[in-house]
Amino acid sequence: MKSKQPFILPFFTIFLVSSLLGITGVWAQSDNNGDRRVTANYFISNTTVIPEPGKILSNYDVIFKNGTISEIGKKLSIPIDAKEIKGDSLFVYPAFIDMGSKYGVSSPDLPEKPKDFDPSNPPSELAGIHPHYSAANHYQLNASMEDEWRKLGFTVAQKIPEGNGMLPGTVALLIYGHPGNSNLLLEKGPLFFRFNTVGGVYPNTKLAIMAKWRDLFQNTLLYREHQVSYADNKSIGRVAIDPVLDALIPLTENKMSLLVESKSELEIRSALKMQEENNFNLILLGVNEGTELIPTLKSKGVGIVLSLGLPEDKFSDSLDESEQGADYDERLERIRKAYNESLRLASHYEEAGIPFAFTSMDVEKEDFFDNLKLMIENGLSKGAALAALTTHPARLLEMEEVMGSITPGKMANMVLMTDSLFSENAKVAMVISDGYLFDYTEKNKKEKEADQVWAYAAKTPVGQSKGTWEFTKKDDKWSGKVSYDNPQGKGTKTAQTKNLRITDESISFSFEVITDDTTMEVIVDGKINENKFEGNMDIKGYNQFTVQAIKKDKPTKKP
Amino acid sequence: MKMKKLLLAGLLIWLAPQVNAQDKNSGDVLIKNATVITITNGTLENTDVMVRKGIITEIGTDLKAPKNTHTVDASDKFLMPGIIDAHSHLALEVINESSSPITAEVKMGDVIDPFDISIYRALAGGVTISHAMHGSANVIGGQNVTLKHRYGTRDPKKLIMEEAPRTIKFALGENPTRVHGRGKNLQPRSRMGVEAVIRNGFEEALQYKAVWEKWNKEKQNKEVNSPPPTYNSRLQTLVDILDGKIIIHCHSYRADEIYMLIQVCRSFGIDKIVFTHANEGFKVAPELAKYTMGASVFADWWAYKFEVYYSTAYNAAILTKNGVVTSINSDSDELIRHLYHEAAKTQRYGGLSEEEALALITINPAKQLGIDKWVGSIEVGKQADLVIFDNHPLSIYAIPQMTLVDGVRYFDRDNDQADQRLKIDPKRFPDPFRLSTGEHKCMHDVDMLFTKNYQN
Repeated sequence: MKSKQPFILPFFTIFLVSSLLGITGVWAQSDNNGDRRVTANYFISNTTVIPEPGKILSNYDVIFKNGTISEIGKKLSIPIDAKEIKGDSLFVYPAFIDMGSKYGVSSPDLPEKPKDFDPSNPPSELAGIHPHYSAANHYQLNASMEDEWRKLGFTVAQKIPEGNGMLPGTVALLIYGHPGNSNLLLEKGPLFFRFNTVGGVYPNTKLAIMAKWRDLFQNTLLYREHQVSYADNKSIGRVAIDPVLDALIPLTENKMSLLVESKSELEIRSALKMQEENNFNLILLGVNEGTELIPTLKSKGVGIVLSLGLPEDKFSDSLDESEQGADYDERLERIRKAYNESLRLASHYEEAGIPFAFTSMDVEKEDFFDNLKLMIENGLSKGAALAALTTHPARLLEMEEVMGSITPGKMANMVLMTDSLFSENAKVAMVISDGYLFDYTEKNKKEKEADQVWAYAAKTPVGQSKGTWEFTKKDDKWSGKVSYDNPQGKGTKTAQTKNLRITDESISFSFEVITDDTTMEVIVDGKINENKFEGNMDIKGYNQFTVQAIKKDKPTKKP
Repeated sequence: MKMKKLLLAGLLIWLAPQVNAQDKNSGDVLIKNATVITITNGTLENTDVMVRKGIITEIGTDLKAPKNTHTVDASDKFLMPGIIDAHSHLALEVINESSSPITAEVKMGDVIDPFDISIYRALAGGVTISHAMHGSANVIGGQNVTLKHRYGTRDPKKLIMEEAPRTIKFALGENPTRVHGRGKNLQPRSRMGVEAVIRNGFEEALQYKAVWEKWNKEKQNKEVNSPPPTYNSRLQTLVDILDGKIIIHCHSYRADEIYMLIQVCRSFGIDKIVFTHANEGFKVAPELAKYTMGASVFADWWAYKFEVYYSTAYNAAILTKNGVVTSINSDSDELIRHLYHEAAKTQRYGGLSEEEALALITINPAKQLGIDKWVGSIEVGKQADLVIFDNHPLSIYAIPQMTLVDGVRYFDRDNDQADQRLKIDPKRFPDPFRLSTGEHKCMHDVDMLFTKNYQN
């Protein structure tokens, strides 16, 4: 028995070591896109948690399991199967909710125009009236697009149905989770309404939209009445199924809200008029003006979703004197005032105590944080801005039980920031969406164009070795990257330079080549003559080769 | 320093309307020593008019104002009732719902644009009420709305004259046949088709009415043996016309089509109808006098399309002399600013008296809109819609000095700012905002087939 042991042990040890290495390998690459995760349980250690606007918990730990937040507390013990996320330099916020996103939703296929098509009386679908459609059926997953928005901190979005008409369909609620999963949270959200028409058919303008809406609402009530009567009295004749009216029934019974796109003060007023005439739950989407209406909206308890889009500054660059016309300064001042009023709109809603949310509908993702900062500079508090992205939309969606704050039992949707939210240098480090970790830390380092790029070639015993050196200067300090042929196979590898020194006449640095069984340090040292470099490459402990390099004219951007 | 000045200027501009607004709210005013053109009760020299809470309470001499009542000295000035325009398209977001030959269900009250600067410009021309109409693309267009020019409000509802009865736009002739017949191959393609559309519409409305009456009765008696009928606001509106609840204002030019509609209305028992434009109205003046609420015409404007070649500047005078309730309208955001000039033309062409000429833009349009109980003349008990002129309003030198609606000053020449816009679009470049004048809008929003020449 004893004699066998020496054999077994080395085998076992090798197996153990290699499997450990294997795991380390996965971890070392970081779970960048959540594709292969070792565990569904995570532990954010010793971090700063903002569980909801206005609260801050320092040196807390957060545990989430299988997509659900399970525990928040101090000095929690790390579960044995949890992956640790070191949170000591991070700020953890509930992830953002977008109350209206148009991205990824395609237009529905409409029926063919009938031969005897009458534009004054078109079939509902061809008139842009298809409330029975759902954005959920027309959402095409575009993982990179989702990632772009997730990278900003959004994990949940209401997808707005496409369609040019007044009733394009119901909104779908999605989570920007793992692309391999079904990420639909709610198939039939609020009914979407807009003051838009298909064009060329009835209804063609806002005039007929208003009239059509009244008729649809009345006829839904009558349709329902027919359904109820028929249940008791079959002699009145069956109900001919009408999918449009069917879709409106929940609205007339206050079981569903009408989400009205309101891009001007007059559209808000029209929506209020509709609500006055036929009482229903109203949410305004994309509000961008109408400060004067705030008291009315508050008293009526209308749900408010403000636009994240802001107007461009059109007045700072003065016009040519010849184009100015009379009273130019006064006019300019009025535009400036109107512009500032746009930036202040959100703060007015905050002052009035209206729990508003935001929609990304009219904003480019590049402007998201900038616009929020502009609103904050114009009076919106950071707490209210966060609430508009978290707790308020959760309430509007009637989803408070599962989202909107970092609370045990809610979905694990969190944003891990490098600094406090909306502060100058705050960046999104990681996003946890549906319990999946999306790590953006590397991507946060701005891919700056290298200041110098050299192409080098070195003669080695096994052939020529080629690659590039990229040197970047920041705050008077040089840093760099070296690419080299993979000594163990195909492709190239890169490494960071160490001890990089660049002068007008010389370059010197070292870097490490890591192979399976060893780490080699390579030292490069040589002289510059205009755009040419000539020197030595010294693989420590092995050999020395000559190396030549040429400085490229234009630094190339890393793909 | 320059920056400070700029800010100060901005502040003043911002403050001015606010100060104004406070003054505006009372509706109490005493106008002293004016030459009062009452329209219905002659012209009164050196007369005072007292207004309390927007209503004319006293007309006389040496009236004493209660404390703190604003007093306007109108010595050497002329006071007349606010001008009423029976055909206008100002302050509307949309004018035509041109997608169907009948769109009786649409309401201009749904698309009022309180930010339209034209309201202020109309006030500057002494106009206190305008009839904001649907366009003329459809045989039966939308329901119009009568607006009081309470400029300064952002709330469309506050511009509506609540007392005014419902009115609706009809249109005959080339416009509807072009839009629907030639444009979309629908009926009407000819004048005969226009009549058929109207008759069929009313017949269908009668059937609709009967169906609902039957069902409501069944429901009342709890003997329902049919499903609820479909609600149709289009047909319901036509029913309301048949029931005399809505006044028709019909775009028309030729005598034959005017007479046609008179016949149609008579056969359906409708007597609330006004013909608008009616350039050949003079040819059927006795019939208009007998069977209608009158005609609303241009002073001297025609020949802008084939069906309106035959006309005359004597039209208004001939109609008036035949006992037709006649008004002169603008159909234009520009013309509306000098309707008093348009009225004066009837003295040159037809020799109307001052009172007859001014009635064309005051009490007569008020009658055609069904609002003469409240406005259109200076009488005790009427709403204080008033305008003060420096000269007689029919003088070519007359300039409105002050315009009041409900006793509230909405235009005051002494306090007229360079920029009277209510709302500024921050997305607009700060180039000079241009006056948009002279654009007639009857065929606005009709995006097919048309050139500017074919609009009215």
